[in-house]
Amino acid sequence: MKPTKGIDKKSTSQPAKTAGHYAFSILVIGITVLICIPLSSNQGYHVVSYLLLSVVSLLATFMGIGPVFVASALSALVWNYFFIPPNYTFHIDKAEDILMFGLFFIIAMLNGIFTTRVRRQEQLALERENRTHTLFQLTRNLSKASGTNEVLNVANAEIETHFGITPYFILQNGMNKLIINPEKKDSTFLTEKQHSIAEWSFTHLQKAGAFTQNFTADENTYIPLPGAKITPGVLVYKAKEQFSGNKKTFWDTCITLIANALEREFLEEQAQKARFLDESDRLYKTLFNSISHELRIPVATIMGASDTLLNSNNSADTQAALCSEIFTASIRLNRVIENLLNMSRLESGRISARPNWHEINDLFNKVTEDLQNELKPFNVITSISENMPLVKIDFGLMEQILYNLIFNATQYAPVTSDITLSAEHVNNFLVLKVSDNGPGFPEDALPCVFNKFYRGTINKTGGLGLGLSIVKGFVEAQKGIITVKNRETGGAVFTLTVPSEKPDIEHFEINEP
Amino acid sequence: MTGPNTILIIDDEIQIRRLLEITLTANGYKVLQSGTGKDGLIDAATLHPSLIILDLGLPDAEGIEILKKLREWYSKPIIILSVRQSEDDIVTALDYGANDYLSKPFRSAELLARIRVALRASDNKKEAEILHFGTLCIDLPNHAVRKNDEILKLTSTEFSLLSLLAKNQGRVLTHQYILKEIWGYSYVEQTQYLRVFVAQLRKKVEDNPSKPTLLVTESGIGYRFGE
Repeated sequence: MKPTKGIDKKSTSQPAKTAGHYAFSILVIGITVLICIPLSSNQGYHVVSYLLLSVVSLLATFMGIGPVFVASALSALVWNYFFIPPNYTFHIDKAEDILMFGLFFIIAMLNGIFTTRVRRQEQLALERENRTHTLFQLTRNLSKASGTNEVLNVANAEIETHFGITPYFILQNGMNKLIINPEKKDSTFLTEKQHSIAEWSFTHLQKAGAFTQNFTADENTYIPLPGAKITPGVLVYKAKEQFSGNKKTFWDTCITLIANALEREFLEEQAQKARFLDESDRLYKTLFNSISHELRIPVATIMGASDTLLNSNNSADTQAALCSEIFTASIRLNRVIENLLNMSRLESGRISARPNWHEINDLFNKVTEDLQNELKPFNVITSISENMPLVKIDFGLMEQILYNLIFNATQYAPVTSDITLSAEHVNNFLVLKVSDNGPGFPEDALPCVFNKFYRGTINKTGGLGLGLSIVKGFVEAQKGIITVKNRETGGAVFTLTVPSEKPDIEHFEINEP
Repeated sequence: MTGPNTILIIDDEIQIRRLLEITLTANGYKVLQSGTGKDGLIDAATLHPSLIILDLGLPDAEGIEILKKLREWYSKPIIILSVRQSEDDIVTALDYGANDYLSKPFRSAELLARIRVALRASDNKKEAEILHFGTLCIDLPNHAVRKNDEILKLTSTEFSLLSLLAKNQGRVLTHQYILKEIWGYSYVEQTQYLRVFVAQLRKKVEDNPSKPTLLVTESGIGYRFGE
């Protein structure tokens, strides 16, 4: 922003300029008289008077009334003394000379008055233009500013530039209460009493403090910001003078503009908050519905099956089947709980990867072992690239990631199909791939599969839709990335890449006893 | 030892105690129960159980504190059974002398297996000199290892590692513990070296090195010599 020239600083060099004008007019008259001395001897002294009168009129077009008056008085006296007979006296005989003598003053005065008036008009126009320009700039800057803080920055800067005062804005909190900021212990820090004056001004919508009718003893002035619908807050400043006339209008306009901008930001923020609340309400409902479903189904299974076991005479086969149902349901319940706990760990930001050296083989074995029941109907292929070094990974996070990805695959892929797990080490990155021969994802769903509560269209066992978002969170906790693609041969492939340096084990071998 | 082994359960959740009582009694153990850490300490001192199952989240004390107090004099196996499943909690408990760690929810079969291992280890206090594991035979005094009656060429570090794990069969040894025992204190953080040696050793002693059954990884915690 280019600061515009302040209108109250417009005439700092005025006295020097005026003195120059006086000197200049005296000089011009002097030169004219010198020129006229030889002229008057053969043309008569009236020619001199015409010449002097013209010069005075000329001077009056660009000088103030003072210098012009001096010029006309000087020319009248000089003309009278040097040229009107009897020469070298102030004595005038003829009526026409007396008339001419008076004319000098009248013409000079009239010219001066008119010029001054014109120039004053010019000055006013200039001031008006300046003000308009400033207001235009202020409006533009305020509308460009987004967010309450930016608006306040613009407002502070503009008020400082144009009025030379440091403003302090106290805003309201959205429930028609001013936000008191006790930590702000700078020069604008207000005492408790001053805060209560601000509160008073805010609630009564009246100015208070110095140069007002209320609480006049206070050093500050308090102005409620005039918004269209709400009052965004109060402006507090230490007034040096009371603005009047044009300056007051200018000040009021500035305040209104700032208040409107603040109100605009304020309403926008409130609307945003409302949208956010709406969104979280929706999320909460989804979460609540799916959690209650995911928890109730296994609990219902456990209750039903155990109830049957307790209350009827069942064959050994039925008993075994019921027990197996209870077991399956409890594993499912446990999975839901694990996912919820992991999600809350992620949400609370308490996940931090703690990488250590591991063999990829151990990781694959652990996960396939944990999922051995789910993987029974499938053909599991694991491939680890040759010369795979030890990798520095967070085993727990990695295990959960692969568990969720493989579990997902078992939910969608047709039985007896391949589920492939592969690992390679490229340029200090561990690249793991989990692919299946299931239906894959609809193309338009690919960007959102990692979103919370995303659930596939064909879903065998429900699920919270948290699995993949946990996977993404855990991969990112290890500074890695995960992508998903549909394979050309059908099914989906998840590729995750996490940084993993190679171990430095050279010198250790030497230590072998 | 004569008569059934007695197992003391220190856990504040009555449902877990009941479940354990049913499961353990059905498997021929005598079960004692304490609902608080304080009672647990008294019961352990007066009733001399053969094994203690300890919960970490007790109402009156941190389970780890109870473990420390027990370990001042109690030398028989202690198995931790807790909902806490972070690697830190497990490693801490093992470092303070727990023989094993199982997190809730757990599988009864798994718990029974761990109890069997722990009791067997504490019964066989006098160490056998020649250990047999399927086709593998470790001759401790002669530093010789045979597989299918063929002598395996092991370096001395490999032999120390193998015999350390084998002598503690079924018990989880933390990385730090193994590194300290074999390489010394200054190496306790160098888990990558341990990994390398375990990988080498697996190639020599395991039937299928990519599906190890003898040198079993306990992810993030350590190794266990399989049964």
